Amino acid sequence: MVGPLLEGKYRAPARRPGTVTRPRLLETLGGTLRTALTVVSAPAGFGKSTLLAEWLAAVPARTAAVAFVSLDEGDDDPARFWTYALTAVHAAADVGAGALELLDAAPSSVESALVALLNDVGGMPRDLVLVLDDLHLVTAPGVHDGIAFLLEHRPPQLHLVLATRVDPPLPLSRRRARGELLEVRAADLRFTEQEAAAYLNGPMGLALSAHDVAALDGRAEGWIAALQLAALSMRGRDDVGAFIAGFAGDDRHVVDYLADEVLARQPDDVRDFLLATSVLERLTGPLCDAVTGRDGGRATLVALERANLFLVPLDDRRQWYRYHHLFADVLRAHLADERADDVPELHRRASDWFAERGDIPAAVDHALAGGHVERAADLMERAMPTMRRERREAELMRWVRAVPDGVVAVRPVLALAFVGALTQVSQFDTVAQRLADVERSLRPDGGAWPTEVPEGLVVVDDEGYRSVPAGVAVYRAALALRRGDLDGAAGHAREGLALTPDGDDLTRAAAGALGGLASWARGDLVGAEAAYVEAVAGLHRAGFVADVLGCCIALGDIRRTLGRPGDAERLYRWALELSDPAAPLRGTADMHVALAGALLERDDLAAAAEHLDTARGLGEHRGLPQNPYRSRVAQARLLEARGDLDAALALLDEAERVHDGDYSPEVAPVPAVRARLRIKRGELHEAESWARARHLSPDDEPTYLREYEHVTLARLLLARRDDAATRLLERLRAAAEEGGRDGSALEILVLTALAAQARGDVPAALDALRRAVALAEATGAVRVIVDEGPPIAGLLRALPKHDPAHAYARRLLAAGPSSPAGALVDPLSDRELDVLRLLGSELDGPDIARELSVSLNTMRTHTKAIYAKLGVTSRRAAVRRAHELGVFPRRR
Amino acid sequence: MVPAMSSSGPQHYVIRVRGRLAPRWAPWFDGMALVPQDDGTTVIDGPVADQSALHGLLRTISDLGLPLVSVAATDEPTPS
Repeated sequence: MVGPLLEGKYRAPARRPGTVTRPRLLETLGGTLRTALTVVSAPAGFGKSTLLAEWLAAVPARTAAVAFVSLDEGDDDPARFWTYALTAVHAAADVGAGALELLDAAPSSVESALVALLNDVGGMPRDLVLVLDDLHLVTAPGVHDGIAFLLEHRPPQLHLVLATRVDPPLPLSRRRARGELLEVRAADLRFTEQEAAAYLNGPMGLALSAHDVAALDGRAEGWIAALQLAALSMRGRDDVGAFIAGFAGDDRHVVDYLADEVLARQPDDVRDFLLATSVLERLTGPLCDAVTGRDGGRATLVALERANLFLVPLDDRRQWYRYHHLFADVLRAHLADERADDVPELHRRASDWFAERGDIPAAVDHALAGGHVERAADLMERAMPTMRRERREAELMRWVRAVPDGVVAVRPVLALAFVGALTQVSQFDTVAQRLADVERSLRPDGGAWPTEVPEGLVVVDDEGYRSVPAGVAVYRAALALRRGDLDGAAGHAREGLALTPDGDDLTRAAAGALGGLASWARGDLVGAEAAYVEAVAGLHRAGFVADVLGCCIALGDIRRTLGRPGDAERLYRWALELSDPAAPLRGTADMHVALAGALLERDDLAAAAEHLDTARGLGEHRGLPQNPYRSRVAQARLLEARGDLDAALALLDEAERVHDGDYSPEVAPVPAVRARLRIKRGELHEAESWARARHLSPDDEPTYLREYEHVTLARLLLARRDDAATRLLERLRAAAEEGGRDGSALEILVLTALAAQARGDVPAALDALRRAVALAEATGAVRVIVDEGPPIAGLLRALPKHDPAHAYARRLLAAGPSSPAGALVDPLSDRELDVLRLLGSELDGPDIARELSVSLNTMRTHTKAIYAKLGVTSRRAAVRRAHELGVFPRRR
Repeated sequence: MVPAMSSSGPQHYVIRVRGRLAPRWAPWFDGMALVPQDDGTTVIDGPVADQSALHGLLRTISDLGLPLVSVAATDEPTPS
């Protein structure tokens, strides 16, 4: 969430009374609907917003929907900015709901939200005009990148209008050259003498001669703000001529001169009101009362608006206003000049008013503006947990910069919260120093952490104070993890868990998740499992359900690698129950994908397919960052299981393109997944290039992080009938068993069996298979064995009836590809394959012997061996059986 | 010729705008001196911390609707 949205910010402004119709400019703006980008660029007071309001009021609703965003400095944050923009679009055109949800769930992935918006707009039957007013107040690169992205990918329905005092950082000249840019600039906006006359003698109610109008317009250079001030100064004057002469003959800054005139003519109480309330960015009756210490603020505002005193309403109900920028500056200059001593007190009152209403950021701004740093720090300390939960990062960074070091130094809770804010935006450079400072302030001699706040330190959030020691450890863990110091990270995380006070579920969860990640990456899956269980439980108790789902992806992966797929499956189902089906949380899609993976392993392809469909139906915004690639890998596995290897390969290519590991250790890299499929397809050359690129060798030290790649290499060696496979598998199995990774061990044993069979060592093959089947039976695994196809089926069939593995082997055979037999226990040699091929031809025995340049006797020996291995007694039966088994050789 | 911006420490700037500006605006310009000139311009004169501060000043000038005439970095304060 980005905090409460001010309704007035995203309503197109109503046409203001007292303005002049400007047909020449309206005609220009009419071109907006024929162009991608319209820029209205001019300094303050040139009537940009007024002109836009007039034009927008004339756009017929059936032609185009108009979304209007009035920006201010607080919007200089991409997430906040785009939330406003998307809210405006949604209010105006009823599109972009999905984009908003996406942004709310993942404030950092602006681009995917914009893609969702563009898709929606592309389907609109009418056009959409998105107006961004006062865009100069926003400088964050993320905002301008987003605008450029919109322009680059815009459907023809979308038209952007940027109103700004400063040209936006977009390649305007290129668009200008291509005629793709509509511009309205200061020179266009200046009042001509005719317009000045219409304005001064119309809405402003003056009766000036053409000569006077020309003198005024010349002095003001067509600048509307100045003409407006001039008109206000002249109202009710008898000596208009003298005023104009005085004005025209003076070289003071126009605004200065005229605002002085206007202010000087106000009654004292109005003047006081204007000066006192000039400290406010936004005005509303009760707030004005609080600041001025008087009643009647609302009535005064209405009266000021009616008197056209530069007050701009921000909503239809006349609740909130702001002063015209220029006028506000003049008022503040006068306030600072005349009542400088009052300024801190005015800000303090405004700060109190906002704090009482829970708008802490505004309260903080006023406290800081009034120089009340301690007060600001108090407010921040209390609001920090909420602000961080809502990820109001731009404001947090402003706060971190605004509080002087000396104030932070004596506030351990605030200092630690600042560290949290900095890590949240990945600014780690000062974090180590800040943590050391916090620790030194609390226990300078390295003794126990004090339960009572030491003298000289300031703490307003007592609960936060109890969590400081654990917090310091947790952030040190994050820092260590970032540096790649896994041992350090695991150690700090353990310390954090030990120090977390009862009831602080979030700190416990953070320590658990960081420790889990560090242990996982170190290959300590047992430790990682325990830590993630803590993280999931803590997040669950604290009500952070979306984060629970994120941790469940990791925890489920770990449990499956540990050979506990049943526990993983139960975890996924439990996590899915947490989310309300009517409003699924982000991460729900990931759980369905993970569940599909587990079901696939159990060979329940139909249920797996159903969960993958459900995940897809939920939409991308219900997925965490890893979901785009993980869902494709799971889908590819399903296709592979169904035998559609081409489609599986295409999906893996896609998976690689959309890959985002989201800081998880890369335990099953997509290129390795694809290499396995290549091997299965017999495309060994591609798999070999992959292995070379990854610098894989059978002599590598087996580590958990490369386990998946090494097992893939073993598969490649096996396919090449390279003896090195056996050696490698032996070491991989030892490492997997050492680390308790039964899931890995199972797969390695299956390959070990195949390797033994390939070198003709049937007893060793059966021994490995027996152990594999036992592991599979314990966990319900099916595909890891069955996927090996006929060769493994032959071995399974060879298990004797009295073997303990026999029953489950039968189940596996039933699940396997339903060939009548499966493959040979004892495969045919190359020479036997040559003979077999010729047995399928018209040639007789002697011809075959001649063809192969062997004696007839040798040929007969081969034939007998073939019959034995195939379990047949005739030439025709041998050929038929070889075809059934899929071992009939093709012509080489 | 504009002297190169030193990598650290403030640089002295002389900014000229059209129109005479009352001295009460000085706080808007971070305490720089506002010196009205005979030709109807105002010289805003003083040290500027860095490039960001300079851009901030230019933005203030724009926000006040003051036409900018010139900006120059100098080695020393201009003699008044």
